[in-house]
Amino acid sequence: MSVKHSLLALLYEKSRHGYELKTGFEEMVQGMWPLNAGQVYTTLDRLERDSLVETPGHDKKDRKLYTITTAGKEELWTWLEDPVGRSLFKDEFYFKFLCANQVSYENRQSMIRNQKETMIKDVLHLTHLKKQMMGSGNETMKLLIEGALLHLEADIKWLDMIADS
Amino acid sequence: MINVSELKKEYKTGKETVPVLKGVDFSVKEGEFVCIIGPSGSGKTTLLHLLGGLDTPSSGSIQLDGTDITSKSEKMRTLIRRKDIGLIFQNYQLLPTLTIYENIVFPLHADGKKAPSGKVEELLEAVDLAGYEKRFPNELSGGQQQRVAIARALIHEPSILLADEPTGNLDRQRSSDILDLLATFHQERKQTIVMVTHDMFAAGYADRIVLFKDGVIEAEVTREDEDYAKFLSRFMA
Repeated sequence: MSVKHSLLALLYEKSRHGYELKTGFEEMVQGMWPLNAGQVYTTLDRLERDSLVETPGHDKKDRKLYTITTAGKEELWTWLEDPVGRSLFKDEFYFKFLCANQVSYENRQSMIRNQKETMIKDVLHLTHLKKQMMGSGNETMKLLIEGALLHLEADIKWLDMIADS
Repeated sequence: MINVSELKKEYKTGKETVPVLKGVDFSVKEGEFVCIIGPSGSGKTTLLHLLGGLDTPSSGSIQLDGTDITSKSEKMRTLIRRKDIGLIFQNYQLLPTLTIYENIVFPLHADGKKAPSGKVEELLEAVDLAGYEKRFPNELSGGQQQRVAIARALIHEPSILLADEPTGNLDRQRSSDILDLLATFHQERKQTIVMVTHDMFAAGYADRIVLFKDGVIEAEVTREDEDYAKFLSRFMA
């Protein structure tokens, strides 16, 4: 995941200081991905070094403000346009399943059962989150949750398939 | 709100008596969203039909807000259903020769009542079908027809909504739309809902899940229980 590009996206419309970027990021991901301040400032230093952001000055409370540069906007657009491939083994459970078969692991069924239970927990959590977000107007987040639920549905079907195989 | 006690239902096929419900104790609180799950033939749809007064039990009682509907005549049960219960079915059950407006107000017409001014429009807006009043069911997709069925079930502002596999004929996206809609009515209007389903994703919307097996309640779990996910993974594909 690219913290760098999400910071560029947050700076796209207006200048912000570091803490504002941290809270803006956490708001964007509905608090599901806490970002530590150190990571924000390290990323901002790199963005500044690469001329993707600049620091025109400070706000009234003397906090350093960051602004996206033209090169930063171009970097963001390039990243947005770059399609994302799907690696077969990027999913850790796929890889675990491969390794379990390699060693003829006896407890394969319990592995599958535990994985299914975790996925059902994810389904329940996301469904609950979706219910909480009704009427919030955050259509983008709702679409992301729908996407995640569709992936989970497919993954659970696959787990049922390998459990029966 | 609903109190079911020692409920039994048997069907006679020739000389044989087939017990479908074998003594069910079950209750639903006002504002609760309860899901009934279980294998085919476990008795869950039978229970829903009995709750809706569509059928009578062999023995036991069903109290709706303190009134035992099992002791009432068919005419009285129909009156209670038209006043207190909204029903949603898997196959929508819209009348094909009536417009969407006429379908929605049909339960009121059966009672010689009229819809309050603007009520149908408000419900159509709530189910995201504003402007569809003059269309006919066959002009709508399955998901849209089910949304009309939800509006029809709510036209008389029932205290309980009973839904039998409401997403059974729909794909994931349409199912999700219908479940979101039911969840909205549950959250915003505190609508009490009892839903029968095979679908784990549908069950995820409920406050409480009741598992039926062989005509009895085998287990119950509430959303707060730590074993909620384990329970679902054991019983649902």
